[in-house]
Amino acid sequence: MTRATLPPHRLARDPYSDAPDHGPIRFLHRLNPLAKIAGPLPAMALLIFSSAPGIPLALIALALALLLVGAHLSGRALLGLFVLLPLATVVLSLSLGLWTDASRVDDTPVLLQIGDYRLYAGALLVGATTALRLAGILTLSLVAGLTSTGPDLVRALVQQLHVPYRVGYTALAAYRFVPRFGHELDVIRQAHRVRGMTAGRGPIAALRRGLGTVVPLLAGGIRHAERVALAMDSRAFGASPTRTERHLVPFRARDWVFMIAFWLITALIVVVAILL
Amino acid sequence: MSPSSPVIRVADARIRHDGNARFTPDGVSFDVRPGEVVLLLGPSGSGKSTLALALDGLIPHAVPAVIDGTVLVDGVSTTDTTVARLSETVSMVFQDPDAQIVTGTLLDEVCFGPENLSLPVEDVLARAETALRQVGLWERRSENPDRLSGGGRQRLAIACALALRSPVIVLDEPTANLDPVGTEEVYAVLGELVRGGDHALVLIEHDLDAAMKIVDRVVVIDRMGRLAFDGPAAEVLREHVDELLALGVWLPSATLAGLRLRSAGFAVPSLPLTPPELTAALDALPARPSPVEAPVRTPHAAALVEPAIRVTGLRVSRGRTEILHGIDLAIAPGSFVAVVGTNGAGKTTLLQSVAGVVAPPRGTVEVLGLDPARADVRALARTIGFVFQNPEHQFIRSTVTDELAHALELQRVAPAEIADRVDRMLARFGLTEHRDAHPFLLSGGQKRRLSVGTALIAGAPVLALDEPTFGQDRERAAELLDILTTLNREGTTVVVVTHDLQLVADHASHIVVLDEGRVTASGTTAEVLAGDALERAGLLAPPLVRAFRAAADPAWYAVTRLADLAPAPAPDRSDGGAP
Repeated sequence: MTRATLPPHRLARDPYSDAPDHGPIRFLHRLNPLAKIAGPLPAMALLIFSSAPGIPLALIALALALLLVGAHLSGRALLGLFVLLPLATVVLSLSLGLWTDASRVDDTPVLLQIGDYRLYAGALLVGATTALRLAGILTLSLVAGLTSTGPDLVRALVQQLHVPYRVGYTALAAYRFVPRFGHELDVIRQAHRVRGMTAGRGPIAALRRGLGTVVPLLAGGIRHAERVALAMDSRAFGASPTRTERHLVPFRARDWVFMIAFWLITALIVVVAILL
Repeated sequence: MSPSSPVIRVADARIRHDGNARFTPDGVSFDVRPGEVVLLLGPSGSGKSTLALALDGLIPHAVPAVIDGTVLVDGVSTTDTTVARLSETVSMVFQDPDAQIVTGTLLDEVCFGPENLSLPVEDVLARAETALRQVGLWERRSENPDRLSGGGRQRLAIACALALRSPVIVLDEPTANLDPVGTEEVYAVLGELVRGGDHALVLIEHDLDAAMKIVDRVVVIDRMGRLAFDGPAAEVLREHVDELLALGVWLPSATLAGLRLRSAGFAVPSLPLTPPELTAALDALPARPSPVEAPVRTPHAAALVEPAIRVTGLRVSRGRTEILHGIDLAIAPGSFVAVVGTNGAGKTTLLQSVAGVVAPPRGTVEVLGLDPARADVRALARTIGFVFQNPEHQFIRSTVTDELAHALELQRVAPAEIADRVDRMLARFGLTEHRDAHPFLLSGGQKRRLSVGTALIAGAPVLALDEPTFGQDRERAAELLDILTTLNREGTTVVVVTHDLQLVADHASHIVVLDEGRVTASGTTAEVLAGDALERAGLLAPPLVRAFRAAADPAWYAVTRLADLAPAPAPDRSDGGAP
């Protein structure tokens, strides 16, 4: 494989293709990425502190409903959201429940007793709440994550939040390194295996192998980064405080509506949870 | 050229990179006038690339280096302005096409420069369209640059330079990472630009066969970094050819062929600089009493001996796509085999399967009686050595000595013998004084020699190399090929994957042509080059072969390499001059 060509599987998903438009129903794709982050942000903060399962459940339902209606989801995303996520939540609830300090919940009914060990309903509830809080934060972040592209997020950060464009576009350029490094790592591993670096089993040998690939990867990476930097400099990158932006990612009325509506619904959920 | 004022004036420039002791270049002066194509020539280490970086102010603004003398761009000293301002007059195209791409589509990429100049959106788009149309990529503007071939990406880099509308474009080894077809693409685009007359080009290039067609002037820098010659290309190359050879400067293969013809007693009044000129020179020769001696290459008694490598019905898949569709191949011991083919033909996959880097299906490959699919690392290392494209990838120890000793330690050789064999290998590859250095701190050529040494030290009689000359300058490539030829003469079977077809013609005894995962031709170099297998596989015959084949007299058709035009003028090897 010459270095000039990346294998096809590295090209399968093109992270740079234009943000796809899936029609007015799939409205999440048409929103500014910042609105999709700012909207759920208070809800995510809330989840860090909530201690009952009601609020996480309500927020998860909200996020899933939004994604189901407003996002064009691939088969893999659907599988992840509706099969793997619930499954992981259940597993996490059980395992966290088993770890919960029993003395804090020994006034709740005993669900299971093996010898001296008692599993209280309260322990399971604590575990489930924690698992749901984590699941909630993840689902809320996917509202933006599954419906925005990296370049659009960078553009929005530069255009609306006035993040210096030098930072934003350098990060985007660095994003191109990822598949390249992946390919390079494959080759380095092959080379090391064929030279007999596989010697030894166990964590120490694995660590040595891992460290062995770091040096060539870093050496190649730094050299590549220097070259990219020179190429960017020679094309007037950083010439002036602003640069022309052809792709505008505006913050429209609908972005305000989405963001404020999300905040209001979050507040409503809190109020209902307190009243109940 | 009209006596118009120069766009770039370099006056007594001396540049020293931080941390280097020596100034290279060391006192170079020349002008670049509008519309002119200037070729910078010089042996490696003479500071050509450094000079290129100084022309648009990257030195001293972006690269830590000391610069004496002046570089004036449009009358302004590069030290008094910024790289961004200079980019409007001088734009750059670098060697590695991958390291110049920063965005996700062709259109975004070409717009990147004008956007940085804060031009209005309409101007940005207009410039991008013109530039992409000039290099023939407008139709593919919405694609990811990763989908382009190497030649396509380098054309994109040229479009990016064009979009800056700078009157000068500096190209530093623009085709070193490309296959011959990609090189042709790039020079077709550059040729159009030169005909347009709006751009001056400053070119650093090792592939002079492609470059000579467009070059007006040659500026030669010597090994010490001093200006050696500056003048019209034809004049400098024809009148100072001996001095250039002594300097270690590479010459067009047509010129070298002309020299060979002269020393073989043919009357070549004016040295040819391009393949068409060589053909014309051949046709102008008076009738010869004895044509060039037919290339006598000892036919390897392949049919009689057991092959060193036997491949039967090899099929290899990556993911769901089958890359090799049933390869059958026999390689005789002691041969020097070149595997050629376009990108994606399956060359590297074939080599990796043969060398056991990626395990082939059982029973499909046999190397000296060993099946790489079943062999362990030790047995494999004793049988076949593999040299990766980038030597850094295969270094696993922290000193040169340990690196060489590693394979012997795996074989559980006695320590005293290890020390002895390592010493001999160090001496053989000129690494003795670097024995305690970290492999990553060696120079490029030393790294390459060390990687060959590590592949050989366990005593492997077969050596496999993946694109050993990719991205290297001509001098290092020649050094490596000398090593390989010597090893081959001593009995090592050498298999290389390469896209450098002149290398193939000059050094290989056999050629295997791969096309879309199938072997379409396999035989001695002379046989394969005489047929049309290369063209059918989408490759170009080397320039020398094409020039001789275009001659009127069929007696020339058999000539495929310089050595066929014996006796040689015996250039001084230590200068790395002529092959």
